[in-house]
Amino acid sequence: MTAAAPSRILIVDDEEIIRIGCQRILEDANLIVDQAENGRAGWEMIQQTPYDMVLLDLMMPEMGGLEVLDEVQKYDDKIIPIIITGFATIETAVDAMRKGAYDYLPKPFSPDELRTKVNRGLEKRWLMLQTEQLREERDRNLLELTNEKSRTLTLINCMREGFVATNRSGQIVLMNPAAQHMLRLNREKAIGSAVAGLFGNPELEQKIAATLETVARTTTVTHMEFKASDARVLQANISPIVVDQGETLGTVTILIDVTEDKKVEQMKSDFVSLVSHELKSPVAAIAGYLNLIIDGLTGGNPEKERDIIVRSRDKADSLLALINDLLDMARAERRGAAKVRAPLDIVPLLGESVQFYQNDARSKSVSLTLTAAETLPQILGNSDDLSRLFANLISNAIKYTLANGKVEVSARMHEDQVEISVSDTGIGMSGQDLEKIFGEFYRAKNALARKITGTGLGLAICRRIVQDHHGHIAVESQLDVGSTFRVTLPVYKNK
Amino acid sequence: MDEQKRILLVDDDPDFIDINRMILEAADYAVDEAHSVPEALEKLSNATYDVLILDLMMEDRDSGFALAYAVRSDERLRTIPILMLTSAEEKTGFMFQLSQDQEWMKVDDFAAKPLKPADLIARIEKLLGRNADQ
Repeated sequence: MTAAAPSRILIVDDEEIIRIGCQRILEDANLIVDQAENGRAGWEMIQQTPYDMVLLDLMMPEMGGLEVLDEVQKYDDKIIPIIITGFATIETAVDAMRKGAYDYLPKPFSPDELRTKVNRGLEKRWLMLQTEQLREERDRNLLELTNEKSRTLTLINCMREGFVATNRSGQIVLMNPAAQHMLRLNREKAIGSAVAGLFGNPELEQKIAATLETVARTTTVTHMEFKASDARVLQANISPIVVDQGETLGTVTILIDVTEDKKVEQMKSDFVSLVSHELKSPVAAIAGYLNLIIDGLTGGNPEKERDIIVRSRDKADSLLALINDLLDMARAERRGAAKVRAPLDIVPLLGESVQFYQNDARSKSVSLTLTAAETLPQILGNSDDLSRLFANLISNAIKYTLANGKVEVSARMHEDQVEISVSDTGIGMSGQDLEKIFGEFYRAKNALARKITGTGLGLAICRRIVQDHHGHIAVESQLDVGSTFRVTLPVYKNK
Repeated sequence: MDEQKRILLVDDDPDFIDINRMILEAADYAVDEAHSVPEALEKLSNATYDVLILDLMMEDRDSGFALAYAVRSDERLRTIPILMLTSAEEKTGFMFQLSQDQEWMKVDDFAAKPLKPADLIARIEKLLGRNADQ
């Protein structure tokens, strides 16, 4: 029983013969036994040494057995007290037992009686200690369990995705704040409520119900998309909660806000149909022109035919320009590591572009000049992209400027940024055009502009390049007076 | 042949104006052109036309509709046959059909761009013939 440490017993009795007798009998049973000759001495020893059991005589000088019993009970209720009494009356025994004694020994007692009662008491104590230990273990486990539960709950509550769990009757048992927000529900009220009619979305409710009903496999996931009340698009992935035996205990629904994805998807498909339209127009025009010749509507007039062929060629050229612009735009879209960036001087790049367009300007009798500050700090950029930016702005300016007009290109510091401006004395734009001019395929509506070819992508490409360089592009314009495009780019700071 | 029929071409795409003008002039029609809705309305108020050829999507998505509606609402103009040209199926993904859309389109014929010369002439002749019967 007490394999590890032998039990320790204190005998408190004023009769020496009893003390010695008991000690001998109990020591033979491999117990450690101490003696005290009165209540007070015994009580002091109890407070100094951990005893498993005390044998207490009821009638003692100084401090009586019942008094000691009282103190022991308060001190440590796992010490087993056994009362020894010379007055073996039912009353004293009952009194002692009521006060918490485990058992009593009426004097005189036989060694067997002593051994039996002590052994039983010690066994009781061992069981008490075992119970105590088990209870502690259980409490510790429960604490861990509670911690684990709250940890899982914390994780679920921190998810950006909505999380809704139902039991097998379709009542909500768990819902995280994200789901509450997405479904515009009060979590406290929703928990415990049936799903049916709660979400304001019959399809979702029906799918959750169907998931509960179908023969469950853990791999079954139902996907659906729906519009929430605030026009956000949510994706719901519903799966059954299945235990080992294939029994469905409920459902878990994960909600993902896909509104932004949908917007991007929409923008992409809008752009594709816009591009298709822009590509179709010149091809349709070429087909139209060729049909004129094929159907003999030119009356065999070679001059007329040549005019039509030249127009077709021009359309083919503009189609080519458009495709090149689309490729440029795709290139400008590509960000990050694929782009080589280096500190560079703006003025030489501007100079090259101005030089390149001198012939165009001259053939339209437009003056093209560059004014640059003596020294300008370097900027961090991609020289191909920046050349393209300057070329687009300068060629645009020339294109929309009438004969004898001026295009002025300048570079200078403005506050702490490098500012490049391209001003023309061209046909200008109205206020409503200004807002949209950097958008794809937008071209200013102007009787004069109609005669000018363009893809409608040039400025959209400019905007992308500038944004990619963390800069800013803006335009000021006045109808019939001219336009000024201003690009500001941040200065390159070495370290 | 009786007197030359007059056609107003309304399109903001100069190529289509030119192409259709050549087709129509070769078939001996008198052709006038307008590049915008206001310009078309101005021409319509100053002259008489036998057929109107409209592009559905000038400037804004529905300017062709707007013009057709304005013409149909005008006491003097409402009987002019209208041929609506469109590349709308490209832009919107919908193919307009005369049978379904005629009620609210208020036009007489409907065709996708580009039209082959023979097809354009056939459609114009049909519109003029029907108009003459009424």
